[in-house]
Amino acid sequence: MNVTAKDVMTPRFHTLSPEMPISEAVKRFRQATEAEGRKIFGMLVTDEEGRMVGMLSMYDILLFIQPKHVHIWGAMEDVDIVGLVDDACVRAGTILVGDIMTTDVISITPDTHLMAVLDIMIKKHIRRIPVLHDGRIEGIVYISDLFYHLVDKMM
Amino acid sequence: MGIVQKNTILSELTVREAMRRQVISLPREADLSAGIQRLIKFKVNALLITDAGAPAGVVSKTDIMGAYYAGLPIDLPLGDIMVSPPHFCRPEDSLEAALEQMREHGIYRLYVQGEGGAVAGVIAYPDIAGILYQYCHECKYSRLRRSERSGDDPQLRFRVKEVMTPSVWSHGADEPLTAIMEGLSEYRMGAALIVDEDGAPAGVVSKTDLALAYRHGCDAGVPARSIMTAPVRSCGEEAFLEAAIRTLIFSQIHRIFVFREAPSRITGVLSLSDAARVRSGSCHACVSSRITVGDPA
Repeated sequence: MNVTAKDVMTPRFHTLSPEMPISEAVKRFRQATEAEGRKIFGMLVTDEEGRMVGMLSMYDILLFIQPKHVHIWGAMEDVDIVGLVDDACVRAGTILVGDIMTTDVISITPDTHLMAVLDIMIKKHIRRIPVLHDGRIEGIVYISDLFYHLVDKMM
Repeated sequence: MGIVQKNTILSELTVREAMRRQVISLPREADLSAGIQRLIKFKVNALLITDAGAPAGVVSKTDIMGAYYAGLPIDLPLGDIMVSPPHFCRPEDSLEAALEQMREHGIYRLYVQGEGGAVAGVIAYPDIAGILYQYCHECKYSRLRRSERSGDDPQLRFRVKEVMTPSVWSHGADEPLTAIMEGLSEYRMGAALIVDEDGAPAGVVSKTDLALAYRHGCDAGVPARSIMTAPVRSCGEEAFLEAAIRTLIFSQIHRIFVFREAPSRITGVLSLSDAARVRSGSCHACVSSRITVGDPA
């Protein structure tokens, strides 16, 4: 049987707008997580016409919060963690989703073979791939859905 | 027996130890909006611009500010405003040599050319200030870990007033962004102090704030108060340099304003570049220990 992306994708998805402040995006992450009953780690970003312009993941937000030069510190016992988070919140105040989203997003079509989807996820270290048909978003393939789809056959 | 003078600890450290290996680049065809997006997302001050994959130029926040001031469209290709060629150093170069090269060309960063000519990294003033801080942290005389050591001579430690730039110019909160940009360009500064009607510090407008305003479609004629970051981060003149460096690094700001007696009396500014130019760690002991008595050659 030729199993493709449309057989494992979730047709429900939540979106953000590039003009939305980061604080609003964080709120939407919470709402989406509650609505879906699963942890949502990344959301699609669309323009007014519903076209995908990027993706914002928790990783992107954490990258922004993380202090620069953290790699050269070594021992960090003199770091004021509370102050660090407060500073990050001040900086995030003027930042919009479009400023830190990932713009070069890999997408697939509903007809992409499951093995090709798996290959992309492994090689590119990504956990969710938007499914696009003629530029329109049809759904998302999550790595967990792909995982259970494949391993359930082992049982 | 002869006296061997090593300049600073920066003569002993190499570019390899301080450089960042992640180089943020974009092709010359990418537009200014995409360029600003990368600058913000990856928290860098400049992008390496490539032409058919090869390094062709650099676009810094200063260049972005210039484009904003000139009213250039945000969808202009980065290649149109880049400064070429990019300057390179080698991983094995000493930090001292890298600083010299930066000063000679009046630039704030160097790209690092690795084996086979590929771009291996980038090094800028904050990276050098960062490694100095780390060096102090590991020093056996470190006060960073043990702030109250008995018998320490506080005279040995640098204070902010010894290193800061002892002059500050400021703009009124109602002045337009164009005036702020003129000031930043004239004084070659990364950020402007914004004061209220009474002359009290009200906020800061940095090149990052301006780049964001440009990307968000904000008119360059709006008053500074509409985009400034508040409150003003400051420290006292008598503060120890290492404390100020730590604030700069962990708050991800490039400069901290310095006051005498009260935060309303700003007397200077300390930047990461100033800290890097001290060419030492955060205490005089570090400088004096560079002069060692060695065997004759």
